[in-house]
Amino acid sequence: MNDLIIGMAGSGGDGIISAGESLIGAVAAEGYYGMLTKSYGPQIRGGESSCRLRVSTLPVLNPGGSLDVAVILDWDDFLRFGSELPVTENTVIIFDLKSGVDRTSLPIKGLWPKVLCGVPLEDMAIKAAGVQQAKNSVILGLLAGWLGLSPDNLLAGLRKKFARKGDEVLQGNERAFATGLTHAHNHPLGRNLRLAHPTAPLKRRVIADGNELCAKGAIAAGCTFFGGYPITPATEIMQHLQADLWEHGGVVLQAEDEIAGVGAALGASFAGKKAMTATSGPGLSLKTEMLGLASVTELPLVCVNVQRGGPSTGMPTKCEQADLFAAVFSAHGDTVRPVLAPTTVADTYGLTVEAFNLAEQYQTPVILLSDQDIAQRKEIIDPIDPSLLRLVNRLEPTTAELKDYTRFRLTPSGISPLSHPGMKGGNYLAAGIEHDERGAPTANGEMHGEMNHKRLVKFLPLRRRHDLFVMEGDPDSPLGIIAWGSVAGIALEALRIVRAEGLDARLMIPKLLYPIAEEVFADFFAPLTRCIVFEQSHQGQLYRLIRMWVNVPQQFESYARSGANPLSPEDFVSQIRKLSRAGLRKEHADRADFLNPL
Amino acid sequence: MISTDATSGGTAAAPRDFKSPLKPIWCPGCGDYGVLNALYRALAAIGRPPHEIAFVSGIGCSSRIPGYTTAYGFNTVHGRALPIAQGIKLASPELLVLVAGGDGDGFSIGGGHVPHAIRRNPDLTYIVMDNQVYGLTKGQVSPTSPRGTRARSSVYGSMESPVNPLLYTLAYGAGFVAQGIPGDLDGLAAMIEEGIRYPGFAFINVQSPCVSFGEPDNQVKVQRTRMRKLAAEGHDPSNRLRAIELAQDYGQELYTGVFYRNPNPPPTHGCQIKALQDEREALQAGVTITPTLSATDPHPTCC
Repeated sequence: MNDLIIGMAGSGGDGIISAGESLIGAVAAEGYYGMLTKSYGPQIRGGESSCRLRVSTLPVLNPGGSLDVAVILDWDDFLRFGSELPVTENTVIIFDLKSGVDRTSLPIKGLWPKVLCGVPLEDMAIKAAGVQQAKNSVILGLLAGWLGLSPDNLLAGLRKKFARKGDEVLQGNERAFATGLTHAHNHPLGRNLRLAHPTAPLKRRVIADGNELCAKGAIAAGCTFFGGYPITPATEIMQHLQADLWEHGGVVLQAEDEIAGVGAALGASFAGKKAMTATSGPGLSLKTEMLGLASVTELPLVCVNVQRGGPSTGMPTKCEQADLFAAVFSAHGDTVRPVLAPTTVADTYGLTVEAFNLAEQYQTPVILLSDQDIAQRKEIIDPIDPSLLRLVNRLEPTTAELKDYTRFRLTPSGISPLSHPGMKGGNYLAAGIEHDERGAPTANGEMHGEMNHKRLVKFLPLRRRHDLFVMEGDPDSPLGIIAWGSVAGIALEALRIVRAEGLDARLMIPKLLYPIAEEVFADFFAPLTRCIVFEQSHQGQLYRLIRMWVNVPQQFESYARSGANPLSPEDFVSQIRKLSRAGLRKEHADRADFLNPL
Repeated sequence: MISTDATSGGTAAAPRDFKSPLKPIWCPGCGDYGVLNALYRALAAIGRPPHEIAFVSGIGCSSRIPGYTTAYGFNTVHGRALPIAQGIKLASPELLVLVAGGDGDGFSIGGGHVPHAIRRNPDLTYIVMDNQVYGLTKGQVSPTSPRGTRARSSVYGSMESPVNPLLYTLAYGAGFVAQGIPGDLDGLAAMIEEGIRYPGFAFINVQSPCVSFGEPDNQVKVQRTRMRKLAAEGHDPSNRLRAIELAQDYGQELYTGVFYRNPNPPPTHGCQIKALQDEREALQAGVTITPTLSATDPHPTCC
């Protein structure tokens, strides 16, 4: 097999997530690409937990649809994940015999799996290691056998994991692993799951998640200040920075609340430093006033928002793309701030750097709209070369300009040099209140209009940022697809499937979501007669935002689903086919009208 | 460039060096004029050039104050001056950072930030111009209005006890707590200077009367007759328990002077961060280092 999706579910403490992490480490060492997503119940400890690992000989674009292999320690736990772990009759189902389920009593109605394999997991663990906690090591042994993975890499991982727990625990787990391996050899499955050899040359790869690469990207961009507050699923950004930023002469502040976190970051930016904050939906609501202040004072600031299910507390551990409107519109007054969205784990790194670049160049807050999926899933990626990055720093006043410094000077580009405390002659008043060119408070309508113009005109070059868009597929096709964030990887796979079927289409993946890059969209839409936007929100927020700014193709459709409802390539493929047939029918009808005008 | 010493040195400065060309929007007779003049004097005495000073405020009449100085000013949003000021201080520890605002800004909408600034203990000076009323919105009760205050937002009289800013900051462990009045310009200027020199979070409550919506018995001239100087009362500012006792009379007695000054200032937030950064640097350079600063260590000389 070239591409394999394994799903596992059990109770907290069964070590399901840990088994997934061991597996992704082992397949990375063998030269495969992979993606590991985790899902938990709402409990702090215990409760159900699951993970899905997709292994491939080529870079993995998304977590995939239905499972090829399901490992079920507990049926109730497994079923609680519903459509997150979809099974079909082709899914190889491996379950603990202790659950008492057999072929006739499967708790999934109407499912007749071709391969159903009961294994006495708990008994084997107790026999080998003396404790049932070693079940996950038995599972690793089984999968090593059935998938044809090298036991050495998995055993090395086990040794590393249990090194601190003492010899007894380690040896118990090694025996449990061996039992699983032997069982797999002695009980071949009814379906061959052995992975094909990796096609890409074996080289050093990295396993990382989006939050980690966001932190690393910030450091690469020259960030030296982070202010934030713990919130799921963004907390890890602060944790990674807490571990690393000090080494780079920076400071991390865990503030008393979200407002103070972003406030301190804005203060640091005023003081001349590159600064960042990170949060999720409820925190974004609280940070809004500071983002507005950053806009009016024209201070650079990066605000990462890792989207989760909303509104309000919503679903903290689930993914959704429903904060786009909040990112774009939540400030009062006539403000625009750039909104960027990474599309993969690796992409998060470069786009975090780009967020700093835009913030510095345009002296503005920038929102990096990540999502729970990208932020927390682990991917095997090729190492990133930071030397290829382009870094932008804010425009500072020259010595001549400091002789008669005018902080908010009206310039054709809208950008005026920015000083900071400590710079002699650069003294000015930054204020939330409307101001004139020198920073003095004003309530003059004419000046307000000019300042609004200054704060908007500076973003005009973003209309042409073609480099912040990925285009795939046939440029002449009349059928267009748009997808953003973590959904982009699903759309990309769907595109490849339909093109393999002989259906031409063109996919656009915007990484710059706002301001809408009018020129890029106009170019993309020009040859299209129909287009569909895929996203994970109930309203289809990007679809509506695009309609607000550009002329859309005649047939412009939205396919949007609320968060926590997994989207799959198969799902998108059927939508694209449908759109294509509808489009074809319409074309036929138009032609018929032309031929028979009455 | 920035002078290395945080609070002293530099060339001789005059109060007028800190005065900006902007004309205050305050009403004639407002107490805030006195605060501004006292501040000019204090800054002249300190002697740091204006470009090495960051002056942060929130929203309200008094929060306009940074614009009337030649320092780098940041007139922010309502109640959020302290977090922004702490970010500035953390990012550039060598700056002199001042924070100012009204009682509503500091103890109502921004009240949640005060305890955290105190326990973090950054080296900054927070001046509250406490007038017991919302003046900019034309006369509503504020968090320090006495119970029973009749105002536009409480036509039957306020039904809430006032916040006691002195007791509040002392209770959370502020190392420097003082109260002044604009009528006693010399005392207020000296107090602000002392607060700036204190190595840590310094809180100065100024009973700064609102001439338009304040109580007639709490105007500048009346205050001068009511004032009781703590120094003259024989108060020892290193006695925290006595300071707490005296602070309980807020609203009845008008004490002025330093209520409390910690004789052994604990390490500031900045000191601890500097110690941590020095340690990291030394580690990277492969040098043996002294142990990390602990809360019980004597105050080092970094700020």
